[in-house]
Amino acid sequence: MYIAGIGIIFNRGRGLASLEKALTEGWVNPNSAYRVPPEALTDKAVLKEARRADNFTKMAVLAAHDALADSGIPEEEKQKLGIILSTGFGPHVTTFSFLDDILTYGDAGVSPTLFSHSVHNAAASYIALNLKTRGPTLTMTQFADSFQQAIILAQAWLEEKRCAYVLVGSVDQCGKVMEYICSQKLKVAVDGKIKPFNFSKNPESVPAEGSAFFLVTNEAKYNKYCAISGRPFPGDKEEAELLILDSDGMCGDERPYGSAVENNVPLTAYAPVFGSLPGLSAFSTAAGALMLKNGKIYASPVQENPHGLNILTARQTLTVHKINCLRYNCYLEELVIRLRRGAR
Amino acid sequence: MPGTNVAISGLGAISACGNDLTETLQNFSAQKRNASKVTLFESSLDYPVFEVKNFIPLDPSAMRTLNLTFAAARQAVNAAGLGSGFGNLRVGICLGTTVASQLNDTDFYRQYRDKGSAPMDSVERYLKSNLSKALAQFLKISKINLCTTIVNACSSGTDAIGVGLSWLRNDYCDLVIAGGADELNRVPLDGFGSLSVVSKDLCAPFDRERKGLNLGEGAGIIILEKESVCRSRGLTPELFLKGYGLAADAYHLTAPRPDGSGLEQALGQALKEAGIKPQEIAFINAHGTATKDNDLVEGRTISRVFGTKCVFLSTKGYTGHTLGAAGGLEAVFTCLGLREGWVPANAGFSNPDPEIGIAPAKEKTQIMGNYALSTSLAFGGNNSALIFEKN
Repeated sequence: MYIAGIGIIFNRGRGLASLEKALTEGWVNPNSAYRVPPEALTDKAVLKEARRADNFTKMAVLAAHDALADSGIPEEEKQKLGIILSTGFGPHVTTFSFLDDILTYGDAGVSPTLFSHSVHNAAASYIALNLKTRGPTLTMTQFADSFQQAIILAQAWLEEKRCAYVLVGSVDQCGKVMEYICSQKLKVAVDGKIKPFNFSKNPESVPAEGSAFFLVTNEAKYNKYCAISGRPFPGDKEEAELLILDSDGMCGDERPYGSAVENNVPLTAYAPVFGSLPGLSAFSTAAGALMLKNGKIYASPVQENPHGLNILTARQTLTVHKINCLRYNCYLEELVIRLRRGAR
Repeated sequence: MPGTNVAISGLGAISACGNDLTETLQNFSAQKRNASKVTLFESSLDYPVFEVKNFIPLDPSAMRTLNLTFAAARQAVNAAGLGSGFGNLRVGICLGTTVASQLNDTDFYRQYRDKGSAPMDSVERYLKSNLSKALAQFLKISKINLCTTIVNACSSGTDAIGVGLSWLRNDYCDLVIAGGADELNRVPLDGFGSLSVVSKDLCAPFDRERKGLNLGEGAGIIILEKESVCRSRGLTPELFLKGYGLAADAYHLTAPRPDGSGLEQALGQALKEAGIKPQEIAFINAHGTATKDNDLVEGRTISRVFGTKCVFLSTKGYTGHTLGAAGGLEAVFTCLGLREGWVPANAGFSNPDPEIGIAPAKEKTQIMGNYALSTSLAFGGNNSALIFEKN
């Protein structure tokens, strides 16, 4: 399948221009967490239906809207659209607000609005409502695997013609409680800098939030960026000419990345731009797709290289056609998103 | 790919209606409704609920939702002849839930709110509670091809089975363990209470005097596999999953689209995939929560698509609304109906609702035909449908 459109909202703003700018500028100290700036969540026109929704939903609605708009898919095709939203932790900020209600007002005094927005699939439903699309709409969660699983399901839906297009993406929010949990469960980088090439047993992280969505389709005429797969392409030996490592300190032991990069394939990693979050691979996929489209590769934002690896240290003209985004989850299972320039 | 026959080789269920299939059928037959006050946690709300009783957790350290899953999955796996292992089969696990996906531990949050810090025990437990991953570990399956947890609110279990169907049709797996599970929990009880959709009496799906839903808990698991794989294991499959439909209302976060067109779209898709006409459906296991809105929209849509003489019922009068488990449990119950040749009475129903225009099964009913449908409607306007066949 092909990527026809991308929408993204993250700590450096909303949209592909913000993504390009961030990739060009490189690492900027996020302080305690990579949070989406409030001004990026104020598009009243797009958020009209979601004006009472939480930021989890708003991020997803904006990214999904932008991915569809970027694709150029004709308006009349929208009813052939499916939606798959993946999330690691769901709208936990709203869940904690609901718990606040229980603790403060008791079982009978809680807010129905908070409850209905604390359900994981509220965001996907708002996307459908916002886009007025009636196709299959699904939300899934698998912690750090969530986006990869969503991509695989999008492929399946397209292959079995359940829909002609799928808006597939990832969203996660970083509230104060989650930041506290991260501080207890993970080793948080005191300098705010994720070091993706250390491959440490106990790596450093900086919690983050954001959303990235993709409009994918099997229609080659809508291929605006590249082909994408969560499973090997037919005849594909899975060899990549560039690896984007999603070593963000989120999943614990990162030593497996070391053995995955032994063949001197050029490496980069954009976790220092996006932060540590379950759906980091969605953001790396956006970066990879943009690089394949624009014909240039952005340097690794953090270049500390204790193992002497072949790291991209400067922006350069693209000579690669095959990019893999590599992630190891908390069970040390390898997850790969494959991006291929041109036809698959 | 559309021609891939997907067989059902194992069923497992645990709910207030029974801790296994035999007990469930007995209680269906006797119209026994095992509701009580909440005993699993403290609550000031006086709603009847359907709790699973006499239940010994297989892993006492794990959250209740996981233990319900393990119990139902063990039944299904044994029934499928896989109790000693999965060999070289490429296995997928796709389960639906709502509660297990949320970090909603009130004690943890109370301590964090009061002191600015809290022990990580409940967080640890939450991180180990990804339903599909936890089941893979419990069953010690070494060759997991795909593993996903669906969080589509009340249609999660149905959609998890639908995703399993997609995986098999696309040859991503040979066999999929699918279904749903949820425990009774304070957060949804308070939340549904706040929406004024919970009844203080026993629920009465599709009844004119219905006052709302009762919450419940449980797990329903089915083993899906390619027919060829099933036969190569020496089994002769009797039940098949033939079609799945999923459509969005794009209307409202908590209310169904009044014209039922989202549900109708999902039904149409499932019928098309199954390659059958509406009149070939022997019975419908409806979502039937007993809320005013759901039953009105669902009943009218069933009437419009399947006619006023169709056999339909809601089993929520026996289980309560088990949220993420509902689709899994009701898929199992639908398969049982086809296998046994009868469906139970729609517990709680006595007064036809003229606004709906059709009435559910008033008594234990023999069914004629080979196809049956199970529907789920969910928060956010999700409409899902599964069609099963008895060969």
